[in-house]
Amino acid sequence: MTNLPPDFDELVSGEVDGAERDRLRRVHDLLVEVGPPPEPSPRSAPGTNVVPLRRRRRRSALLALAAALGATAIFTLGLTVAAGDDPSAEQVVAMTGPSGASASLEIFDVDEAGNWPMLIDVRGLAPPSDGRLLELWLTTDGVPTAFCGSFFTDDDGRAIVPLNAPWRIDDFDGWVVVEAGSTRPLLST
Amino acid sequence: MPIVYRGEPSDGELIERIADGDRPAFEELYRRYARTVLGLALRRLGDRGRAEDASQEAFVAIWRSARTYDPSRGNGAPWLYAVARNAITDGLRRTPEPAADVPDGPSGGPDPSAEAEDAWRAWRVHRALETLPPNERTVIEVAYWRGLSQSEIAELLGIPLGTVKTRTRTALARLADVLEGELE
Repeated sequence: MTNLPPDFDELVSGEVDGAERDRLRRVHDLLVEVGPPPEPSPRSAPGTNVVPLRRRRRRSALLALAAALGATAIFTLGLTVAAGDDPSAEQVVAMTGPSGASASLEIFDVDEAGNWPMLIDVRGLAPPSDGRLLELWLTTDGVPTAFCGSFFTDDDGRAIVPLNAPWRIDDFDGWVVVEAGSTRPLLST
Repeated sequence: MPIVYRGEPSDGELIERIADGDRPAFEELYRRYARTVLGLALRRLGDRGRAEDASQEAFVAIWRSARTYDPSRGNGAPWLYAVARNAITDGLRRTPEPAADVPDGPSGGPDPSAEAEDAWRAWRVHRALETLPPNERTVIEVAYWRGLSQSEIAELLGIPLGTVKTRTRTALARLADVLEGELE
């Protein structure tokens, strides 16, 4: 997508004029001039448990940040695995369930549009008997609030599925997998 | 002009609470400034990975040096800018950019003072965006940086076109209030 600056006259139309219109136009010009603020990746956020896979040097800064924020704040997103097979993954979040099922969620760099590509690798999660889909959600206070995609597992409880989180991930505090239409976590961080 | 938050502590108040070890205050400050600090780092370093590193180090520096903040010398935003900029610069010294071919003749690089002025302006604009209510910030960000028309935004968000226009105008006016000094 080519992101041309918006047309100021379309944005403001003719309802604003005089000095106020000039004032808004200067804000418009500033927004166009400075461009968008970048979106921090989840690993940057205090309150998340993130250990980068590729850039180990970040660990020292993260540990210092962890010391500043306290272990309980840092580890609210659950165990993050610090090693992975895919060198392009930025982080891996581990999820577990009461049935012994588990999953690793690899999260890659956010794209220009604000999407976080992910790959979920699920093990031991039996497919729902009524054929319902399984769904990955971001949570707020443990409640599923942002849908990130659905998938099936095979008869062995296995699935490896690309998903996507078109959200500001650091606005949330965890992940869950639920059956479609349910909020009961089958897997959680 | 200090950035004013309706019913919320100012940046300076948060920094003073951080100086006393208040972790929720630090998390709130992070929420307000995460994108702004990363934007400054990215502008300075040019590389996303190094900018993320530098941004983390900047927040560590903010936590550690909060006691040096003196509210009688100004509001919080310039202090935060200075601490973040210094941390980013220190990080740059520790991990210099990869060697590049040195061009012959005079440098064609940007004027440092102009570069600093641009960085400060971007800092203020990005920070001002964070003060908008989420529904207004969304229409601004989608309009300016995702290239959607007002009609497309209305369709995307599932709201009437008139609401998009109202939110856009209101958001621009709020930004103008916050950015008064930049508009002169």
